[in-house]
Amino acid sequence: MSGDAGDALLSVRNLRVAFGSPQHPLLAVDGVDFDVAPGEVLGIAGESGSGKSVTLRSILRLIHPPGRVSGRVLWRGRDLLTLPEEELRRVRGGEIGVIFQEPMTALNPVLTVGLQIRENLKEHTGLDAAGRRKRAIELMDHVGIPAAQSRLEDYPHQFSGGMRQRAMIAIALASNPQLLLADEPTTALDVTIQDQILKLILRLRSEMNMSVILVTHDLGVIAQTCDRLAVMYAGRLAETGPVAALFRQPRHAYTLGLLNSVPRAGQIRQPLASIPGQPPLLSKLPEGCAFAPRCPFVLSACREAPPPLVEVAPDHRSACLAHQALAKA
Amino acid sequence: MSLTLTSGIAAAFGNGRRRHMPLLVGSAIMALFLLFSLIPGIFAPYDPLAFDYMHLSEAPTLAHPFGTDNFGRDMLSRVIWASRVDIQIAIFCTIFPLAFGTIVGALTGFYGGWLDAVFGRLVDLVVTFPFLVIVIAIVAVLGPGLFNMYIAVSSVGWVFYAQLMRAGVQVQKQSDYAAAARVLGYGEARIIFRHLLPNAITPIIVYWMTDMALAILLGSSLGYLGLGAQPPTAEWGVIIADGKNFMSTAWWISVFPGIAIIFAGVGFSLVGDGIADIFRRRN
Repeated sequence: MSGDAGDALLSVRNLRVAFGSPQHPLLAVDGVDFDVAPGEVLGIAGESGSGKSVTLRSILRLIHPPGRVSGRVLWRGRDLLTLPEEELRRVRGGEIGVIFQEPMTALNPVLTVGLQIRENLKEHTGLDAAGRRKRAIELMDHVGIPAAQSRLEDYPHQFSGGMRQRAMIAIALASNPQLLLADEPTTALDVTIQDQILKLILRLRSEMNMSVILVTHDLGVIAQTCDRLAVMYAGRLAETGPVAALFRQPRHAYTLGLLNSVPRAGQIRQPLASIPGQPPLLSKLPEGCAFAPRCPFVLSACREAPPPLVEVAPDHRSACLAHQALAKA
Repeated sequence: MSLTLTSGIAAAFGNGRRRHMPLLVGSAIMALFLLFSLIPGIFAPYDPLAFDYMHLSEAPTLAHPFGTDNFGRDMLSRVIWASRVDIQIAIFCTIFPLAFGTIVGALTGFYGGWLDAVFGRLVDLVVTFPFLVIVIAIVAVLGPGLFNMYIAVSSVGWVFYAQLMRAGVQVQKQSDYAAAARVLGYGEARIIFRHLLPNAITPIIVYWMTDMALAILLGSSLGYLGLGAQPPTAEWGVIIADGKNFMSTAWWISVFPGIAIIFAGVGFSLVGDGIADIFRRRN
């Protein structure tokens, strides 16, 4: 996470997404930086409204007016935010695949699953009709849809939730993308299916040497799948670093609060710790650190200006003035 | 669309006959009139234009079940041959509005902006006039006849399809699968016509069926007024107009084509209702 973006596949720099009028902009994302290395799984965690989904969507310019995006999204040396529409279309679905939260609604209900996979192959590969059909069967097989051949002509409503998410993954992977953006891919699924889908994503990651950005509010999912984690709060990065280090010793008061509020299996009837208060409204952000009003470690300096993101350990950065106190705690 | 229609029709003929009775009856009526219009010679016992001075204005008999008119023409044959003209009216009056209105509605619904503003005002302009008045005005300018009637109805009828489709596409374009199609890098034409349009087509199909019924009524009305099909062409409205002078002495001349109009109208409407019903149930 240093300044140079030499070996990164994707570098996001000073990303800002503003909604509302130019006079009173609401910054849903405010100056976010991160890199994704080839083959890496980056998790982005945060509460609802923290800007994690907006960050993901702005990478592929899916923010519609009146939303305004600024900053740089460097994808293999090109800035996706200024790329002409025609070239962007080749990146979308071709080099970067996306899977959504709701497999129920993200598949077109009136087209067969096989047709939807073949459509992506038609758009982004040079395969002929027979080749596309063969590849579609391979892909469905690959993501673990049983009897792929006979299910090609099935419509999405004939699939179960987990199978639909597999089908979505098959569509997203049809053109061998180098990066997969996953927006809460397992939130709509029950826990056993969730586990299967996450394992599938990890398996495909290593088989296809693909990077993944996984947006979720579920820290359990992060622990299970991610190499590095970025925690967002009120549109800013609170803390980034390797998942293991971050879970072992969080260096931001918000991350600590999040970790403490996860119920742990095996503990008997412990009161559930929670972070007091509510996330701030974007229209009423406090002067300094946005987390200060809810923070048990708050210092007077916290209320003056938003704390900068500083390196607290190798590849581990935190935007918390109390990071040293947290290290001792 | 094909999914909704085929599985809907399959359901109609399979279980739940009672529930799908309207669709069943409507389809049967539609099929009957389609057969009449495709091969009228097989069903009609006589030449619809042949005069028979031995049998002028005869009341219904076994030889002439619908009677004969004042020239001795067999009314049953005339009603059957007329269905060819009236089914043609039903199709030609609606096919252009269906195609053009659907495309315009899809594009304006998807893009919005100035395109939507321009077509929106055009739609407002057309809707402001009473339908029949504006159609009659156009026919009056172009001159009477079937072809000019098609032009008049088509230039007005598309707005209703456009309104329906515009609303449907506006809803569909907010959906996740539309966003998914976008992030797969698909072009806008493909997103509109491959992904959004089939999801918004069902109300259009339903309206089309009703519109065909209305077109038959309109064609008959204009025929009656002398603005549509011209005599001696057998067309239901024209026959009714011909027979109106003999209402008190030979009621059968006007009544049987009138019943044919009612049947055709009810048949098309039942099919439209049946499809709409299946669609509602599905949601």
